[in-house]
Amino acid sequence: MTEERTAGRVPTATMDPDVIDLLIGQHMEIRDLFTEVEAATGDARADAFGRLVTLLAVHETAEEQVVHPMARGALDGGDDVVDARLAEERQAKELLGELEKRDPGSAEFDTLLAGLRVAVLAHANSEEAHEFRYLRRTVDPARLRAMATMVRAAEATAPTHPHPGVESAKANLTVGPVVAAFDRARDLFTKARSGKD
Amino acid sequence: MTFNPLEERGIPLDRQLRTWRELDVEPVDPDHADPYTKCRIIAMNGIEIESIMFGHNFTRVCPDLEVKRQLAEVRYIEQQQQKVVNWLLPGSASPLETTISYEQVAVDLTAWVARMEPDPYLTQAYQFGVLEDFDHLYRYANLYELIQHRKAEKIVDGLTEVIPGRPTRFHHRHPADNVREPYDRTTVDPLSRLHALTIMAAEQQTLSFYLNVGPQYMEPIARQLYQEIAMIEEEHVTHYESLVDPGETWWERLVTHEYNECYLYYSFMETESDRRVRAIWELHLNMELEHLRLACDLMRRNDGREPEEVLAPELPNVLTFEPNKAYLRELLDTQIDLTTLGTGYVQEAHERFERMQEALMGGEDPVSDQVVTRHVEQFGEDYRVETEGPHPDPTLRRREASHR
Repeated sequence: MTEERTAGRVPTATMDPDVIDLLIGQHMEIRDLFTEVEAATGDARADAFGRLVTLLAVHETAEEQVVHPMARGALDGGDDVVDARLAEERQAKELLGELEKRDPGSAEFDTLLAGLRVAVLAHANSEEAHEFRYLRRTVDPARLRAMATMVRAAEATAPTHPHPGVESAKANLTVGPVVAAFDRARDLFTKARSGKD
Repeated sequence: MTFNPLEERGIPLDRQLRTWRELDVEPVDPDHADPYTKCRIIAMNGIEIESIMFGHNFTRVCPDLEVKRQLAEVRYIEQQQQKVVNWLLPGSASPLETTISYEQVAVDLTAWVARMEPDPYLTQAYQFGVLEDFDHLYRYANLYELIQHRKAEKIVDGLTEVIPGRPTRFHHRHPADNVREPYDRTTVDPLSRLHALTIMAAEQQTLSFYLNVGPQYMEPIARQLYQEIAMIEEEHVTHYESLVDPGETWWERLVTHEYNECYLYYSFMETESDRRVRAIWELHLNMELEHLRLACDLMRRNDGREPEEVLAPELPNVLTFEPNKAYLRELLDTQIDLTTLGTGYVQEAHERFERMQEALMGGEDPVSDQVVTRHVEQFGEDYRVETEGPHPDPTLRRREASHR
């Protein structure tokens, strides 16, 4: 092992996590949260679904506002890669909008949820395989790390983990409908960027 | 009624070919599939690949054109079977995630075989090996949380513990000490042949998998860990293949391969929880019965012997993926400090072992240690799935961040 290589362009696990580490970590959280929603019933299901909506909102917004614009310039064929990802995100958002109109205990909800899960996991997989690994190769590591700080700052103000008991699980769902959750996430990023850039 | 593969009729060979559409199987779900379904897929892929490569090796030394043609026909079908089996793995699982399933196979398959093996020398070989695979699972699980930010318990699902085994750094033995004594083909229990072939095939596939996916990672620590553990898989393949009597004829080996495939497909059909996957095991069993019949005919014609002389009179106990936690803890308690010397096992680090270690390490910690050190630095402790209490060996109980 040479020091040069570990300290060079290839990020290592012990360095400060960069924006890619952060987003991959969220992919794993999203993946496990889907399993949690599927397994839960009643209020616990509504609560887990509320957390899923919030996490998807901040996560997808971070990608749309921060990572995809960078990928357009930095990757060969970046526009096509990003357009394909945005189309997947749009499809997921539509499914999410359909889901929130349903009763979380209904069979329809289960079917839509299963479809959303497959779409979101495939989307995450495509990002990791076709976008993230190439960003690591082409973008300055310091820039990727700085972006992680920015994304964390924006997300810190989002209610990613609402406290059960403070509001009822149902209330969480009604105060955070999908469109509002994404709007709020976008505002947070706009603020964070104007403060940083 | 016990199932006797020699008496069952399968699907005629000329009706076994599948279309592209039939080969295009839907993979299992990475998060909903039973971890042991994934283990069965991985194990069976190793068995199919061994069978295919055996067929190629046989062909290379076989002067009889007719025999080579028949081997080629059967092998083509086995290649299709391999495509169906291995393509059940989900594309959305990263190589490292699949690696953790590979190690779960190595642990629970080898432990089960060790428990069932009638011959004490062979049992010792499996017990020795399983403590090493067990430690690989622990090292890869630490890497998984470091680079993929997820816990391996989501993959092994509490069925297999993730705690230190014989530390990986001590697996690097002098290559001459990896060669064991073979069983005697004239006296061996037919079940022992099947066990040796199964574990050899599984380890060989694990070796190939690591050889190919290791360089796909960007993170230096991942690339290096695959290199280190792949070198140990080379040792394991040497260890297990040397258990097989080299005096077995090609015909004898051919029928053993085909019989073993029947045994495993039957076992997996009997124990599979996923209905769709179960149907594949059943279909493939019905194909293998015919491959076995053809192999038996070749043996009768060319070896002048009856296959019954080398095969079991009835199918052994169904090979089962199940937790082996208590068994593994007992081995951890009694065999963790073993190494090999010649074809046997010793407790002390002998001179040839020490020389090999010094030459390899170059005075530094191997990456299998570094991955744990880094995990401790980043998360405050190493990653474990410890469901049955503290580690049986006090020196391997949890390392705290004070080690930093």
